[in-house]
Amino acid sequence: MLHDGRAAAGNNAADWIRAIAESQDRAAFAALFEFYAPRIKAMLMRLGAAADAAEDFAQETLLTVWRKAAYFDPARASASAWIFTIARNLRIDRLRGDNRAKLYAAYDMVEPEGPENPDSALNAAERDARVRAALKELSQEQVRVVQLSFFEGRAHGDIATLLDLPLGTVKSRVRLAMARLRNLLGDLQ
Amino acid sequence: MTIIHHPSDATLAAFASGTLDEARGIVVAAHLSLCAQCRNAVHAFEEAGGALLDDVTPEAMSAGALQRAMAALGPLDIITPAIHEGAADDLPAPLSHYAVGPWRWIGRGVQWRPVEVASDEGVRVFMLKAAPGTRLPRHRHTGTEWTCVFEGAFTHDLGRYGSGDFDEADASVEHNPVVDAAHGCVCLVALQGHIELQSWLGRLIQPFVRI
Repeated sequence: MLHDGRAAAGNNAADWIRAIAESQDRAAFAALFEFYAPRIKAMLMRLGAAADAAEDFAQETLLTVWRKAAYFDPARASASAWIFTIARNLRIDRLRGDNRAKLYAAYDMVEPEGPENPDSALNAAERDARVRAALKELSQEQVRVVQLSFFEGRAHGDIATLLDLPLGTVKSRVRLAMARLRNLLGDLQ
Repeated sequence: MTIIHHPSDATLAAFASGTLDEARGIVVAAHLSLCAQCRNAVHAFEEAGGALLDDVTPEAMSAGALQRAMAALGPLDIITPAIHEGAADDLPAPLSHYAVGPWRWIGRGVQWRPVEVASDEGVRVFMLKAAPGTRLPRHRHTGTEWTCVFEGAFTHDLGRYGSGDFDEADASVEHNPVVDAAHGCVCLVALQGHIELQSWLGRLIQPFVRI
């Protein structure tokens, strides 16, 4: 399902972020922007944002990536996952009257400095590779329902309408896809 | 501490993607503050989020978007050590940003304190402290009831829930939790809708009906 060329761009992303952190490398920022800004815009539009709002949000996310570049720790997260969490936290921050941003600040706060179980913990690169391999094992339909259900937070009824499927089919497909992903991730936890 | 009961993968994935509502998110965050295994699972789902982001069909940015971003680049943030502010009254870290009311007795052996969180889904968050051996009346819920245990333990039809355990009950669950005889129990609860007491006797326990 996932294309190999994109994984390669993801690998460079860690170098680009490091170059920003070390020498405020503007060319590295441009490369990062060209890859991620259109994807963050697309992600926001999938979450229901209008094109111009999604574009502003993508700009803001990439500017935050620049500012926070020194905080990126490749041992803890891949570049894509780190950018995903920056976009997540910003998006939540924008929801008016909602304190979830505080919640994620608190969640980040409990993160320990080093690996939690040095014997069993995978480093971020291994975890990233395992997750990508697991996603590749899922069918395209399964990836789609995982995406709609968990990453876009859509209700099952919504997904049924979107995919033009009976509600029962959606429910069982979500359950099976998640169980399969869980199985494939194995002892990641 | 051995944690036996964890949030479902669906719940951890929703937390990782930021799609879980705040009220339920607090109880999940409280569990995460105690459970390295689930923190690792959330990391895995964040990696899945990153992989899905890489794979999304891009939407072209408008002309000049990159130039505008380049023009807005300023100085980088300097890393400052994280301040591990301990929550007041020994509250777990995720509650440190919230207003938490005083403990109030709501029934024999049971104290309650509210956590102020707005919710569009009718979810209320509160802490419960129950004396050793307290039996809560048999009840079911009109919505979900998520609980994270901080101290002590309780037992109901689905098992024993000790320190750090997470109980993700939905509207189909009917139970009568019994608090551990030795230690009592302190927990954090996100309750959607209302509790419906199942017995005539239970209905007499007026203060409890308020929950």
